[in-house]
Amino acid sequence: MAPSPHSLASVHDLDLVSLAVTGGRDAFGELVRRHGSAVRGLLRRMGADPILADDLAQDAFLAAFEQIADFRGEGTFQAWVKRIAARLYVRRWRRDARLDLMAEPPEPSAAPGGGESGAANRIDLDEALRALSASERVCVSLCYGGGLSHVEAALALNAPLGTVKSHVKRGLDKLRARMAPRSPLEDPESAHV
Amino acid sequence: MSDKTFEMDLERQFAASPILADADVFATRVTARLDRGWTFRQMLIGGLGIVGGLIGAGQLLGSGLVSRLETLGAQSDTLVKSGIASLPAARGLTTLLSMGSSMDSQVLWMSAALGAVAVGLFVTRAIREL
Repeated sequence: MAPSPHSLASVHDLDLVSLAVTGGRDAFGELVRRHGSAVRGLLRRMGADPILADDLAQDAFLAAFEQIADFRGEGTFQAWVKRIAARLYVRRWRRDARLDLMAEPPEPSAAPGGGESGAANRIDLDEALRALSASERVCVSLCYGGGLSHVEAALALNAPLGTVKSHVKRGLDKLRARMAPRSPLEDPESAHV
Repeated sequence: MSDKTFEMDLERQFAASPILADADVFATRVTARLDRGWTFRQMLIGGLGIVGGLIGAGQLLGSGLVSRLETLGAQSDTLVKSGIASLPAARGLTTLLSMGSSMDSQVLWMSAALGAVAVGLFVTRAIREL
């Protein structure tokens, strides 16, 4: 007899996957409940608006259910679905021809921290991602949020590996500048205090 | 912060996604789409099965299979009766069988066909349950 949805709350992900492989839709529903927010969050961080993020996340979970027998448990279930979702987002971008990885990167954004000092410089990841160009944001999110290697990201984006690496490098530099707390010695404004 | 430490921190922050307020609603939507897809698939398979069955039945009828089965049935009927007649103890049974007509053989074949269909359904169901 299949476990009730209530009792599924304490079941391990891998056991839920095993149940889902045999067609257990309740078990798969529990997986969606557990990891839906993370997948939607990644898509939003990649640049999707909330509605598109939800649509793509739904598609990703449906695709995951179709391919659930292929999940070998080598990584986490969440990471696996995130990769599917990230690829769906990239495919959508490419279809809409909105992603131009070969375009010149925009001028560097305002100075990190915007004049704030010390711990206040350490800003939220979501906020920091907004300072990246669309290409940098997608490349960084694919590699650090979607768990794709640079090669896999290049394949998903159908872009040269070197281009992807450049976008990741530039994106990381911007994120580091915005997110990493600066010591008072590095921060001239703090040094005056 | 070293490059490696920063990258690990970044991965950790990407992984630490907050639980959205409508997480349950989202899960319900996904499972509803899953159920819809499942129902649609069942209806599609069922519909295709019926159409296929009708086409198959039409082909069988058109190929004169029924008349051939009748002939075959009549032959087997004769064979069975002659076999029983050769047994001294079965004289009464032969009389009983001879009271029937070729309709008996048709019923026999129809029963066999229905039995085959029932076995097919049982096997299909068993495979789905497994």
